[in-house]
Amino acid sequence: MADHYSSFEPKGTRWLLQRITAGFLVVVLAFHFMLLHFVNHAGDITFLGTQARMSQVGYFLTMVSFLIAGAFHGVNGVYNALVNQGLDGTQKTVVKWLLVAAGALLIAQGIRVATAMTGLF
Amino acid sequence: MSQSYDRGLIEDFGRWKEFSAGMWAWIFHKFTGWVLIGYLFTHVAVLSSATVSGEVYTQTLQSLESLLVVRVLEVGLLAVAAFHILNGIRLLFVDLGIGLEAQDKAFYAAMVATGVITIASIPTFLGGI
Amino acid sequence: MSTQIKERDTETESESSEESEHQTRRLSEKRERADMKERADNDLSEHDETVRLKVFRYDPEVEGKKDPRFDTFEVPFTKGMTVLDALIYARDHFDSSLTFRHSCRQAVCGSDALFVNGRQRLGCKTQMVDLEWPVRIEPLPHADVVKDLIVDMEHFYDQMESVEPYFQTNELPSGEEQRQSRENREKVKMSTRCIWCSACMSSCNVAAGDNEYLGPAAINKAYRFAMDEREGEDMKAHRLNIIEQEHGVWRCQTQFSCTEVCPKDIPLTEHIQELKREAVKSNLKFW
Repeated sequence: MADHYSSFEPKGTRWLLQRITAGFLVVVLAFHFMLLHFVNHAGDITFLGTQARMSQVGYFLTMVSFLIAGAFHGVNGVYNALVNQGLDGTQKTVVKWLLVAAGALLIAQGIRVATAMTGLF
Repeated sequence: MSQSYDRGLIEDFGRWKEFSAGMWAWIFHKFTGWVLIGYLFTHVAVLSSATVSGEVYTQTLQSLESLLVVRVLEVGLLAVAAFHILNGIRLLFVDLGIGLEAQDKAFYAAMVATGVITIASIPTFLGGI
Repeated sequence: MSTQIKERDTETESESSEESEHQTRRLSEKRERADMKERADNDLSEHDETVRLKVFRYDPEVEGKKDPRFDTFEVPFTKGMTVLDALIYARDHFDSSLTFRHSCRQAVCGSDALFVNGRQRLGCKTQMVDLEWPVRIEPLPHADVVKDLIVDMEHFYDQMESVEPYFQTNELPSGEEQRQSRENREKVKMSTRCIWCSACMSSCNVAAGDNEYLGPAAINKAYRFAMDEREGEDMKAHRLNIIEQEHGVWRCQTQFSCTEVCPKDIPLTEHIQELKREAVKSNLKFW
C-alpha cells in the first residue's frame, strides 16, 4: 500500500484556492444579487445601464475577478465532486482537461462580453 | 472476497432518513454548487448578446424578464445561491477549526435563513410582470 | 424462529451402518439444541420483557443461505443488556450458526462495530434501552460481507498500515527516555484512543465512493504521530507527505459522519481539518 502513495503530489494548493475564492465569492455574489435585483430590478436592465456600470474601472475589475473566481471555484468543485465519486485513471485525465478547457472558454467568453459591455471597443 | 456480498446503493441514498445534519449540508451544498456552475455558463451565454449590439442585449434581457417562468426560476436561483453562500460560510469556519461543535446548528440556521431570504424576496423578484 | 436449515434425516438412513458415529454426534447435537430451546423457553416465560432483533443473515457457503435475509430473534431483556449481549443470547439459544466478531466486551478490542438501527455502533457499548425496538442489526455498510455480521476488514487495515501507524524518529535523545511534554500528550490524547473498529470508515460517504481515500481512522492515526513532537521535524514532513497526497486529507468533505459515530468520541473531523491546515502551512513555507 505504501508504494502507492510514493509519488509526491501536493493537492493542497487547489484546496486553499477553493477556500480563498469562496471567501471572495461570498461577498461579491451577495453584492451582485443585491445590485441587480434589489437596487436595479432585473426587469429594468438596459444596455445603457449595464454600460454605465461596466465603464467604471473598479466595477469592471470586480466583475472580471468575480468571473474568474467563480469559474475556478465551480469547475474545481465539479472536478472534486467527481474524484470523490471515485473517478480514476484515463477517465480522470480526460475529464480534468475537459473541465480546464470549459473553464478557460468560460473566462475568455466572459471577458469578451465584459469588454463589449463597456461599449469602448 | 469473491464470495462476499456487496449491498450496493441500499447503503447510501436508500438510507436518506438516517442522514445527519452534516450529510444533508454536504448534499445540498453539492446540489446547489452544480446549479450555480450550470447557471454561470448559461448566464455568460445570455449576456453574450451584448457582443452583437446594445439593442439586441436590451431586447434579449427584457423579453426574458417578461416571462413568469424566468422570474420564478430566478427566485429558485436566489434560494440556491443564498444556501450556498451561507453554508459556504459555515464550511469556511469548519476549515478554520472554529465552532466545530456547533456545525449542525449552523446548518439548521443556514436552512432557516435561506428560507427567510427567499420568501422575503418573492415580491421584488415577481414584481412588475 | 431462525431459518436454520432442517436436518434431512432420510438421507442418512440408507447408509446407516457405517455412519453410526455421525448418527450419534448428530443425535447429541439435536439433544443439545432441544436443551437450548428449552432453556430459552424458560427464560422467555420468566422474563416479562423481550426484545426483538432483526439480524442480517448471509452465508455464501451454504445453499439456501446465499440470499441475504433478515432473521428475527426474540430475546429476553435483562437490565443492562447490550446489543452484543442480545446477539450472544440469540446465538447460544436459537441459532449457533449466527456469526459475529466479539472479544473483550468492553469497547477496547474494536471487534464488534455493527450497523445498529441505521447507525454504526459498537455492539458491546450500545445499551438496548437506548434503542428503538425492534432492533435492526446489520454488518457495517461499505464493506464486503463475509458472513452474517462479519465484514472484510482487509481494506481498512491496508489504509491504516499505509500511514505508518507506529512511532518512528531520527532524533534520538542521548541516553535519555523519549519524554513527552504534558501539553503535547494532551494534544494527541484523543487521537490515541482509536480501537481500529472501522465504524468511521463505514460511515464515510467519500470513502464509500473513492476506494483509495485513506479514511478518517488512518488520517487520525497519522495525526497522532504527526503531532507527536518527539518524532521531530523530518518525520513530521514525511508524515505530512503521506496524508497530503490526492486521496489523503483533501478528500474529506467535513460531513462529520465519522465524528458522530466514533465510539471513542475522537474528534476525527477536527483532526483531519487540522492536518489540512498543517499541510497548507508547510507548503507555504517553501514558496
